Amino acid sequence: MRDRLLILSVFVVASCGLAYELIAGALASYLLGDSVLQFSSIIGCYLFAMGVGSHLSQYVKDERVLDTFIEIELLVALLGGLSASTLFAVFAWSGESFRLTLYALVFLTGAMVGMEIPLVMRALNQRQQRFAELVSRVLTFDYLGALAVSLLFPIVLAPRLGLARSALLFGLSNVAVALWTCRVFRGELLRPTLQYLRSLLVLLVLGGGFIAADELTQWNEKAIYGDDVIHAETTPYQRLVLTRWKGDLRLYINGNLQFSSRDEHRYHEALVHPVLGALPWARRVLILGGGDGLAAREVLKYRNVQHITLVDLDPAMTGLFARSAPLTALNGGSLRNPRLRVVNDDAARWLEHNGEVFDAIIVDFPDPSSFALGKLYSVPMYRLLSRHLADNGLVVVQSTSPYHAPRSYWSINATLQAAGLATTPYHAYVPSFGEWGFILAAHHPGYTPPQAYRVPLTFLDREATRQMFFFPPDMRPWRVAPNQLNDQRLVHYFEQDWSQVIR
Amino acid sequence: MQRRDFLRIAAALAGLPLLSGCRQVLGWGLPIEVLRPGMAAGHRLRDASALPPPRGTRRVDTVIVGSGVAGLFAGWRLAREGYRDFVLLNGPEPDGNAAGGAFGEWRYPTGAHYLPLPSPESVHVRELLAEMGVIEAGGDSLRPTFDERVLVHAPDERLWRDGQWQDGLLPRGLGADDDAQQRRFLLHVKQLQQQHGADGRRVFTVPTALASTDPAWRALDQQSFAAWLAAHGYTAPGLLWYLDYCCRDDYGSTLAHTSAWAGLHYFAARGGQAANAEDGAVLTWPDGLNPLLRHMRVRIGAERQLPGAAWRIRQQGRQVQVDYIDTGGAQRLLARRVIVATPLHVAWHLLLPLAGLGFQRAHLPPRAPWLVGNVLLDRFPKEPETSPLAWDNVVYGSASLGYVVATHQLIRAALPERTVFTTYHAFAEADPAARRQWLAAASADDLFAQAMQDLYTVYGARLRRHLLAARLTVRAHAMASPQPGFLANAGLAALRAVDGPILFAHADLSGLSLFEEAAWWGDVAARRVLG
Repeated sequence: MRDRLLILSVFVVASCGLAYELIAGALASYLLGDSVLQFSSIIGCYLFAMGVGSHLSQYVKDERVLDTFIEIELLVALLGGLSASTLFAVFAWSGESFRLTLYALVFLTGAMVGMEIPLVMRALNQRQQRFAELVSRVLTFDYLGALAVSLLFPIVLAPRLGLARSALLFGLSNVAVALWTCRVFRGELLRPTLQYLRSLLVLLVLGGGFIAADELTQWNEKAIYGDDVIHAETTPYQRLVLTRWKGDLRLYINGNLQFSSRDEHRYHEALVHPVLGALPWARRVLILGGGDGLAAREVLKYRNVQHITLVDLDPAMTGLFARSAPLTALNGGSLRNPRLRVVNDDAARWLEHNGEVFDAIIVDFPDPSSFALGKLYSVPMYRLLSRHLADNGLVVVQSTSPYHAPRSYWSINATLQAAGLATTPYHAYVPSFGEWGFILAAHHPGYTPPQAYRVPLTFLDREATRQMFFFPPDMRPWRVAPNQLNDQRLVHYFEQDWSQVIR
Repeated sequence: MQRRDFLRIAAALAGLPLLSGCRQVLGWGLPIEVLRPGMAAGHRLRDASALPPPRGTRRVDTVIVGSGVAGLFAGWRLAREGYRDFVLLNGPEPDGNAAGGAFGEWRYPTGAHYLPLPSPESVHVRELLAEMGVIEAGGDSLRPTFDERVLVHAPDERLWRDGQWQDGLLPRGLGADDDAQQRRFLLHVKQLQQQHGADGRRVFTVPTALASTDPAWRALDQQSFAAWLAAHGYTAPGLLWYLDYCCRDDYGSTLAHTSAWAGLHYFAARGGQAANAEDGAVLTWPDGLNPLLRHMRVRIGAERQLPGAAWRIRQQGRQVQVDYIDTGGAQRLLARRVIVATPLHVAWHLLLPLAGLGFQRAHLPPRAPWLVGNVLLDRFPKEPETSPLAWDNVVYGSASLGYVVATHQLIRAALPERTVFTTYHAFAEADPAARRQWLAAASADDLFAQAMQDLYTVYGARLRRHLLAARLTVRAHAMASPQPGFLANAGLAALRAVDGPILFAHADLSGLSLFEEAAWWGDVAARRVLG
């Protein structure tokens, strides 16, 4: 019975040993990238450390074998169990010491795990087991444990529990082994009570960690974003992080702020109402980008709008903003409104492949910070857009900042004009962005801003609207060239503009 | 001939070029497809002799044999002028050197991938581009306005040297002497652009048929480009590498084997300008030049395009008999006029006797073999932040010609989830006949290694992880190389002048493989038919 228990311990210990290795590898590839390099170097370091551990095991005196085994189990439980949480924290709070901590942890855990099996074999050997049988049984269970974990970890544990909790779970298994060894071999231990107390203490630490793991992770992401992270998700297209601090909800995409719930109404009212307020007859509206549903919320205020098509690439984004309670509270459930249809496709591609015509088009694309994105602000793109625009319809384009990025802003204006559209530039102050710019465009000139709005608004009224269309002397138009695909001046302008802004 | 033989030939000839492709899967699971368009059919034509009697005879006013740029351009011109009584035989290598393909929705070129802005003399090409809407305005002005979607988008070119990218293809940072020689050379060819001969024509033009015949300038053709460069003090390694790259890229030959006239022609003849692009800009589509051919095919009409390949062309009195094979068997066309728009080495076997027209076997231009590799990637490889992926990416010092990105011209809100890279290699360095033998026998692995050379240099072998499929196109007789003396080729001069029941149309007539040249001879032949 006692021997069987030792063999069972081998199984658990082997499982845990492999698990820590996998967790460290997964964590490093997740945070540092290049998974082949991370896994190879971690497995190498770990196996080498196990060798060192095996070598050191010979210095344990025969009478201390079981005591040392329990102590090692508790150490492994602490080191391994807390490894993922520790590494997350180190990455969040002091990124530069991450690699050092990672390899130190891997080496220490490896060395401890390397001592386990030799100690168990010695314990069994002292109990007069036949050597051939002993080696065979120990190693069989050692490898079985490895198999169990190598399947369990990627299929069940990592996706269900996450890395931090999986590590803690394996730590708890190590403690369990220590505890039952204390119990069953009480008589053979030198200091049974002390070992028992130690085991209970470690159990308490890890159990507490297991319960608090979520808060721990959040606390770490908060270090990265400064606020509480209420949702974080990596989609095939981008990393979405939603934070909240005292009622201010913020969305970051790939680390860039998209909106703050404090002042997003300014941005979205400015984006939508100069167009919709001037088109009381508008029935069909197209929104490109804007997967947060906030522009759609503003459009839905108009009863005359019968149909909105919203094209956004990322189904995870539109899904999140259609379902999550704090977010649907913010966008008023716009993405689930029966008058709105969500199309998850690349907006430019969708425009190429569809022939629908709209009364109003709202373009909320990312800034032209790369050659790929710059193409969205080009003459061919705007010509394509104008083919989807009704003869007396209006387009509005998010156009960077006329104050901070004047070359970019006025280049977008020139590009819309080169595409044969009549433009009306305007701007609004959005505290979290600064002075922000929009350009309204139509097939025919003669646009006049709305004098009043028929829908409830927080930011815009007659006077605020008038000011949006007034450009003070320090924001006068710049004479810059339109963006052509073969030279992509806009991308250079954008780089130039923002390199001069001290932030 | 046995019936079985016949069926094999018929299948090979009858517009089923894919049959000559073979599929292989590399050790690590990448399917590699090797296409040798026209090879089986061409070799049977060379080796076989007799054909069973035709099963049907059809009379038609004009037959165009071949569906490369020259043949389709001839058909396009005829159709555009309202001339209806003609057919076009597609042959075993449809679209010739302007062919393209697709991995699902991702199109790519398997031949030429760009067209320079048309020169003022290339009125014929401008007409086509205007009809397609690629020229939006000012087609007859010096500087037309082009559709921006087709002008190569920025960033257009970059060069990999010493583990880093630099903008443009001229190598920089190789020392003051190299820089100075580069500037001097560019200035030199800029002057040559405006150089006129004693007959008042420009010395270097596209099409070459309109160039000056002043013997003083034609004498350049008597020496190699390498000799001319040395004689003019151009010795800097960076400049010479660049010029050699250009000759391999356009002519499939090295500096030492390129006529000095042709070498200078590359730089001095184009001179196309645009109202909305820099001088020297080029036009491109995801599948290279193939959209130009698709447009011409639409104009010609599907009903006039016959699958099947010519087997024999004979003049019988005032009419011409074209025997061809399609999947139904042997057929005969009787025509008033035939435009032979095949490469001349194919015409040599089709048309007996060509010698009667003043063209001997020795007049066949030397031909360079090419290997075009297309690889489908599951994502864009990582690029340094300071030098994003360009349309054309070339490796300094490489014997290959770099790679172009087939998705470069797409306008997308996010990077496309996949892309296709097209690699080019011209076998300029060695004996072309030996190279052709190697290409005919090479395994898919060997060809793949050759095609991937530059990609591995830039991205390392880890790029393999992102490959989903590879298609390699072997063009063993891809293009005529303008070696020294090519302008004096009397056989070509004879065929250019032919205006009887049989006409010729192919870039081979110029001795240079350029779209404008092929289109020019297609245009000339069509105009001769129209009278």
